Amino acid sequence: MALYCVLRSIRTDFSKVCLSQNVQSVHTSSALLSAEKALLLKLRKSTGYTFINCKKALEKFDNDIKQAESWLHEQAQKEGWSKASRLEGRRAKEGLIGQLVGDRAAVMVEVNCETDFVARNEKFQQLVRDVALAAMAHHRVKTEGRSGYVKSLLSAEELSRLSVPAGGSLSDQLALTIGRLGENVALKRAVFLGVPADWHIGSYVHGPVSGQADVAMGRYGALVVFQGGQGSMEILGRKLGQHVVGEAPLSLGNMEDLPCGDSETRLLAQSFLLDPSRTVGQYLTEQGARVLDFIRFQCGEQSSNEEE
Amino acid sequence: MAALVGLRACLSSALQLSTSGLLHSSLRVCYVPLSRRGFAAEAKKVFARDKPHVNIGTIGHVDHGKTTLTAAITKVLAEAGGARFKKYEDIDNAPEEKARGITINASHVEYATANRHYSHTDCPGHADYVKNMITGTAQLDGCILVVAATDGQMPQTREHLLLARQIGVEHVVVFINKADAVEDREMLELVELEIRELLTEFGYDGENTPVITGSALCALENKNPELGVNSVLKLLEVVDNYVPLPKRELDKPFLMPIEAIYSIPGRGTVVTGTLERGVIKKGDECEFVGHNRSFKSVVTGVEMFHQSLERAEAGDNLGALVRGLKREDVRRGMVMSKPGSIQPHQKVQAQVYVLSKEEGGRHKPFVSNFMPVMFSLTWDMACKVTLPTDKEMVMPGEDTSLILTLRQPMVLEKGQRFTLRDGNKTIGTGLVTETLPLNAEDETNWG
Repeated sequence: MALYCVLRSIRTDFSKVCLSQNVQSVHTSSALLSAEKALLLKLRKSTGYTFINCKKALEKFDNDIKQAESWLHEQAQKEGWSKASRLEGRRAKEGLIGQLVGDRAAVMVEVNCETDFVARNEKFQQLVRDVALAAMAHHRVKTEGRSGYVKSLLSAEELSRLSVPAGGSLSDQLALTIGRLGENVALKRAVFLGVPADWHIGSYVHGPVSGQADVAMGRYGALVVFQGGQGSMEILGRKLGQHVVGEAPLSLGNMEDLPCGDSETRLLAQSFLLDPSRTVGQYLTEQGARVLDFIRFQCGEQSSNEEE
Repeated sequence: MAALVGLRACLSSALQLSTSGLLHSSLRVCYVPLSRRGFAAEAKKVFARDKPHVNIGTIGHVDHGKTTLTAAITKVLAEAGGARFKKYEDIDNAPEEKARGITINASHVEYATANRHYSHTDCPGHADYVKNMITGTAQLDGCILVVAATDGQMPQTREHLLLARQIGVEHVVVFINKADAVEDREMLELVELEIRELLTEFGYDGENTPVITGSALCALENKNPELGVNSVLKLLEVVDNYVPLPKRELDKPFLMPIEAIYSIPGRGTVVTGTLERGVIKKGDECEFVGHNRSFKSVVTGVEMFHQSLERAEAGDNLGALVRGLKREDVRRGMVMSKPGSIQPHQKVQAQVYVLSKEEGGRHKPFVSNFMPVMFSLTWDMACKVTLPTDKEMVMPGEDTSLILTLRQPMVLEKGQRFTLRDGNKTIGTGLVTETLPLNAEDETNWG
C-alpha cells in the first residue's frame, strides 16, 4: 500500500510537470501568434480581402506585409476572373445608372448587379464611376475638334475594352469587383452626348444612392438636349430631366400635337410633371426654350424586354 | 351547436363516472358561460397554440451560407419532429408573393424548437425586406447574421446590418459558418472579434451578442457533429433565449376602432367594431378619441352575436354598450380605448412603399405637397405629403420616408399601418415611424 502511495505521488508530480510544460508551450506559442494575429488583422483591415487569403499571403511571404499585399492584389484579380466566368450566366437586373456631365458633353452609363444590396456598396459605385470616366475620356479623344451634335451609344463589349485612367481595361476592373462582391456584375450600356456651343444638356438622376462626388448615380437617369431658355440653364435642364424620368416619354413629338390624356408618350404633348396644368410644349414656349433630344435610362429595363 | 351539446353530454357523463358530485357541479359552473359564447370561442380554444410564435430571418453576404444554414436547421429539427426538411434548392428560389397587392420576393420556412414556433424569412433584396416591414407580412423579431469564417465580414455584411437597423430588428445573433474550412482556432477568434466590432459600430450590443461557431454544411451532410448538428442546435437554443417574445396583442391596453353606432331604444347606444388588441370587460373605463373629440365613459355591456359576454379579446367582433353615450357623440373613425393609451396626432413620419403600375399603383411619380387620402383603422383623412430634403420626387415601385400632415388630428401611433389612396387608386402602404409635433407653418398651410 505504501508503495502504491509513493508511486501515486510520483505520478501526480510527473503529470504536474507535464502540465506546467504544456502551459508554458501554449503560452509561448500564443505570444508568437499574437504578433502574427496583429499583422493578420492589420493586413485584413487595410486591404479588406478575406481572412483566409490574408493568412495565406502572410505565410507565403513570411509575414512581409508589403509583398503579401501585392500578392493579394494579384490573387484578387485572378479569383475575380474565375468568379466572373462562373457567375456569368446569373441574371443581373439591379444596379445603377451613372451620369457625368462635363463642358458641353455628358455620358450616362448603366452597370448591373444581382441584388440591390450590391448597388448600395461603395466598391460597386466606384466601378460605376470608373466606367463613366472611361467612357468620357474615350469620347473626348474621339470627338476632338468636332463641334456638331454627337450622340453615340456604346455596347457592353465596346465598354469592356475601354481602358481605365488608373491602368488596365474596364473588364479587369469588372472582374476585380466581381471577386470582391461575389455577385455577377455586368456593364450594360453607355451613351455619350456632345453639343455645339449654344446648346445645353440638362441632367437628372433619380434614386436612393448619394453617388460619388462628380458622378451622379441612381436607378433612373435622363439627359435632355435643349436650346435657348431663360434663367439658370441648370435648373431648367434639371426640371426637364425630372419630367423625362417621371413620365417616361418615348418620342419627342411636335409642338402642335394635341395631348391625349394620361397615356401620352410624346414629350411635348405630355402634361408637365411639376405643373400639370400645362403641357411640356407650353412650358417650353414660356421659357423660350426648345428641346432637341432626350435619353432616358431605367435600371434593368432592357433585360426585362429581352426576356419577353 | 349539436356537436357542442354532444360534447357536453359526453363530458358530463364522463365526469359523473370519475369525480365526486361536488367537483362536477363546480366544473359545470365554469364551462357553462364558456359554451354560451358560441362556436367562435370553442374554435379559438383549439387554436390556442402550445408554443409562442416568433419571426426570424437570416442576413449575410452572398455565399456565406444563409440558405445552407436554413436548410440545416430544418434538417436538424426534422429529426426531432419540429420541422419538415427543406432542401437548399427549395429555399433558394424565393417565390414572388403578393401581400396587400405588393409583390415581395421571399421564402418562408417554418419550424419549431422545444419552446417556440418559428417562421423563418429569407429575402433576396433590400427592397424586399423593406416591403416586408411596411406591409407587415412577417415583422422580424430577430435576425441570424451569417458570416463565413473563411472570409470574415464582407461588403454586404455591412449593408445587411444597416438594413436590420432600418427595419427595426433589435436582436441579432451571429452564426460563424464554414468553421470546418478553417483549422486555426485563432482565426475564428479574429473573425468573432471583427464581427463584434462591426455590431457595435452599427449600434448593436457587440460585446454581449451571442456568437455561435459551426458549419451548416457539416450539419447537412452529417459530418463532424461538433461543428455540424451540435452547433445548429446550440444556435437554436441561443435564439430561443436571446430573441424575446413579441408582446402579445392580448397584453396590450385595449383598442377598438369604431365601425358603426347604433341606438337601441330602451337600452342606450352601442358602438361596434373589431377589437384590435387587448381585452374588454364589462365595467371597464373607456375613452373615445378622434375627429377632434375626446371623452371618457364606462362600458356597461359587451355583446357578440347578440349574446352578452363577460370579456372580449383581441380579434373579436363586438358591440359595446356605453354609459350615457348619445348617438351623435361618436362617429365612425374614432376609437374606443383604454383611457390615456392612445392620442390623436396630425403630423407623422412614415416609411412608405409606393406601388408600381403593375401592382395597381400610379404610373407617375409624385412630388411634395401631393394630397392623397390616408386610410387607417376605420378612418380616412386627407393628408399632405412632404418629401425628405434629399428627394425631389418619388417614383412608383420605390420605398421612401415621408412626412404626412393630416387635415385634422386622428388616432395615430408609432407602428400603425395605413394606406394612401388618390381617386380610385391605391398609391402606397406605409408604417408610422414617428409622431411629430405640429409647427406654426403647418397650421397656416392648410387654409
